[in-house]
Amino acid sequence: MLEYTRVRGLSGSGSSSGLNRRFIPGGGSFFRLASTPRKRLVALLFLLGAGFLVLLIRLFEVQIDQHEKYVKLAQGNILRIIPLPPLRGAILDRNGQILVGNGTNFVVSMIPDEIRNKRRTFSILSRDLSLPPSDLRDAFDRMRDVLPSYIPIPLKAHMTTAQVGRVSMDLYRLPGIIIQTIPQRTYLQGALAAHLLGYVGSLTVGDMKKSYARHLPPGTGIGKTGVEMEFDSILQGTPGESRKLVDSQGSVIRKLEPKYPTQGHSIRLTVDFRLQQAAETALGDRRGAVVAIDPNNGEILVLASHPSFDPNQISSALTAKTWHDLLNNPDHPLTDRAIQGLYPPGSVFKVVTTMAGLKAGVIDPAKPFHCNGIIFLGGWAFHDWKRGGHGTLHLRRAIMQSCDIYFYRAGMALGPDKISQMAHNFGLGSRSGIDLPSENPGTVPDREWKIKRMHQPWYPGETLPFAIGQGYLTVTPLQMARLMGVVATQGFLVTPHLYLSSDSPGVFPPEKNIRTNPLHNANFSALREGLWAVVNEPHGTGHPVRMKEMEIAGKTGTAQVISNRIPEGGAVHEKIRPDSWFVGFAPFVKPRIVVAVLVENGGDGGDVAGPVARAVFQEFYRDYLDPEARVQPLETMKEPHT
Amino acid sequence: MKSVPISYVFRSYPFFLLDILAIILSGILVQWSINWHLAVRQGVWAIVGFGMFVVLLSIPYKQILKVSFPIYSVLLLLLLLVKVAGHQSHGARRWIGYGPVMIQPSEFMKLALMLVLIWFFGKMDDKEGLPFAKVLVAAGMAMAPGVLIAKQPDLGTAIGLFFCLGVFLFLRGVRSRTFFTALWASVILLPIGWQILWNHLHGFQKDRIRTFLNPESDPTGLGYHTMQSMVAVGSGGWLGQGLKGATQVKFRYLPGAHTDFAFAVFSEEWGLIGAFFLLLANAYILWFGYKTAILCRESRGFFLAAGMTSLFGISFLVNASMVVGILPVVGIPMPLLSYGGSALLVSMMGLALVLNVRVHEET
Repeated sequence: MLEYTRVRGLSGSGSSSGLNRRFIPGGGSFFRLASTPRKRLVALLFLLGAGFLVLLIRLFEVQIDQHEKYVKLAQGNILRIIPLPPLRGAILDRNGQILVGNGTNFVVSMIPDEIRNKRRTFSILSRDLSLPPSDLRDAFDRMRDVLPSYIPIPLKAHMTTAQVGRVSMDLYRLPGIIIQTIPQRTYLQGALAAHLLGYVGSLTVGDMKKSYARHLPPGTGIGKTGVEMEFDSILQGTPGESRKLVDSQGSVIRKLEPKYPTQGHSIRLTVDFRLQQAAETALGDRRGAVVAIDPNNGEILVLASHPSFDPNQISSALTAKTWHDLLNNPDHPLTDRAIQGLYPPGSVFKVVTTMAGLKAGVIDPAKPFHCNGIIFLGGWAFHDWKRGGHGTLHLRRAIMQSCDIYFYRAGMALGPDKISQMAHNFGLGSRSGIDLPSENPGTVPDREWKIKRMHQPWYPGETLPFAIGQGYLTVTPLQMARLMGVVATQGFLVTPHLYLSSDSPGVFPPEKNIRTNPLHNANFSALREGLWAVVNEPHGTGHPVRMKEMEIAGKTGTAQVISNRIPEGGAVHEKIRPDSWFVGFAPFVKPRIVVAVLVENGGDGGDVAGPVARAVFQEFYRDYLDPEARVQPLETMKEPHT
Repeated sequence: MKSVPISYVFRSYPFFLLDILAIILSGILVQWSINWHLAVRQGVWAIVGFGMFVVLLSIPYKQILKVSFPIYSVLLLLLLLVKVAGHQSHGARRWIGYGPVMIQPSEFMKLALMLVLIWFFGKMDDKEGLPFAKVLVAAGMAMAPGVLIAKQPDLGTAIGLFFCLGVFLFLRGVRSRTFFTALWASVILLPIGWQILWNHLHGFQKDRIRTFLNPESDPTGLGYHTMQSMVAVGSGGWLGQGLKGATQVKFRYLPGAHTDFAFAVFSEEWGLIGAFFLLLANAYILWFGYKTAILCRESRGFFLAAGMTSLFGISFLVNASMVVGILPVVGIPMPLLSYGGSALLVSMMGLALVLNVRVHEET
């Protein structure tokens, strides 16, 4: 073996030498390229070389190209991030009175990763909490699949002190169970202004799918209605995180500095707590709504709806039964009558008919009119509310005594479309744009609407009830306040709003103080004189509202209840009484406040709704205008606009 | 053929030896970053391996080949012994020994099988390659230990034996008729066989194949190994996370980090640059081994150098591919880098035989 000659190179080219022939027979008939072991070795070398190349490319792909992705995955392995819920911002009235704040809620939660014996844990907890284990198990199962297994799942919120005590004593034998203190939304005024404030509910699985709430920890309160919902993103704050390093067994290696949650921003509302309170007290137990706005800028001073509910009850330990009772109460306490309730406006609508008549020249304030209490159209008789009629009168007294025949005449001359157009100018038939969810637009009928909705033409007999605010026409109390605002400011239609300011200049302020001037060239003096007389003349329908200290003007309404609003069975007698309205403004010169009051099935407008409005006017006068009382002028209460 | 002084070998091929040493030290460093106990043990095995290296160098390879059949037989007996009296760990019965000295006869079997195949069939006496009968005998020699090992169960090592047989038959050549018969048979039978096999696979085995095809589909389940391995490799980046910063290893997310996934740890700690140099070091060994085979004028020397080198290269590639998710997870350790005394010894002994051929052919 020592006498060979060296053959350089990798090819097994060797049939020439004797040594090679002995060594590499291959098979000539075989593939030429792999005919000898040497050639096959070279082929193998190329194969392995290709393998090395592929490996290098793959390493580049994984280590460099997808580096970020894998670093994230590696961090996801070792970092356990447990969200800390933020503290919701407070809600204040315009004078800084706190309406909504935060208390403390004790919650017992379970961390799925750290549980040793689930069955035993549930049984101990169920004894401590005096709850069936199935309740706890259900609470657990609901959230289990939605969340990573290291995030605590709330099992029972709003624990009593006794429950907290008993569970704390057992914590040593309940690995994976923790007691969390979570801020609890507290409505300091109870049921007062409940509809406008709204309430907070637990983040549901559905809420978590919303992009804006995706990073909120479970159990966080999220606004479900009212201001709580509308301004949730301002109030919410940002959750914090507690971060731990864990190994593959889930054991904590090190706790990192937590990122503390930031409190949400507080909101100051335009609402005046004292006025709101006065309005709700005056309304008492009756079903109805009170709205008060500043007609100059649309700031809402009062937004009340009765019957009400206690948002604390809903935001905290809401039981299925309480919720069921609220939903099925025949008086619909959850409905915000001020912005969602639809009512015929009754005689208050004569404001619209008056302006339409003046514009079209159908009404001449100086022209006398004789009312004998009845009018005939197409064989039908239409009566005035006052048997025998009002005798000879002018526009001023027609408004003051709410003469129906006067406005029937005007309506007949106008036709439905002109009345309808004027109603739209006053903001009826469309949403006011208030910064609250679920506002109702109401209905303003006209010929086209009738054909579209009822597939019938407009009958002339339908124009008469329309002219005095009956028939298909429906409005919300808020729309009526807005309507009277147009009269008060002689032409300006405001967008009512609740947002006054927030403690952070960075958050978006909704566009405030928007007003339009749809009636810029109208003359309101004749109408205003009539509205003044309603309250201030001894025979005016709104005389009960009159105040010595401040001149008030307004209009009463006694609206027939449409038959389909009569509920089945029960208190039929009471429920077919007409709805009672008063909508007015004050002071007569330079008005500062518009008040709209509706009392469902109240009866006579002036006698029932009037005194409620008067209570609000009185409180307003005392707080804002009376130089001898503890007055702060309205202007100084305003926040500087940001 | 005479024996060659060791000092001469060390002086003649310092780069080859340093290359091997570098890879072994890298492996020990990987073990160190996981647990210093592992590093110490691996170090001890490396010293033992070095002793074996010197021993195997000093005996001319032809004399070693002469005793290949006794070695093979003894190992086969040991495998039977393992079956009845082996040490069990993780549900597999693979080890034999006492106290800290545990060896895996199956690993050594790879070496012995290659030797015995070369001893019996390495002489180039017929021009047409191996006839059918001899191929059958060769296959039988691989099957006997292969079945025993597969039943331990240790699929990885059994596959290693299959590589031995495959590499040898490929290099040695078989008669064209035998080859074509086998080729056509497999072309016809493979789809049918696959269908039958697939139908007989258990659900979890099918899942394993599916998760290999898409490991992200089930990151906590069956694709866990591959996924965590790729997370380790991928978070390495250019320069790696260093010995302290490799969280996949430190927080024990990577199963089998010290054995089958040592390369993943290495890549996480040293990045693409480190992995590239490791590839280079292994490529040099392949180059050296193949050059040795080409230079060798004696057929058994050629097969010994080529076979051992190929086995080394294939093991390296298969393991690395498994780590970066190109191949499914099979228990083939990375030569010289992975933890394990027997595997380290076998790798070093194989390379000693390559060097043995080089030395004894060149002098």
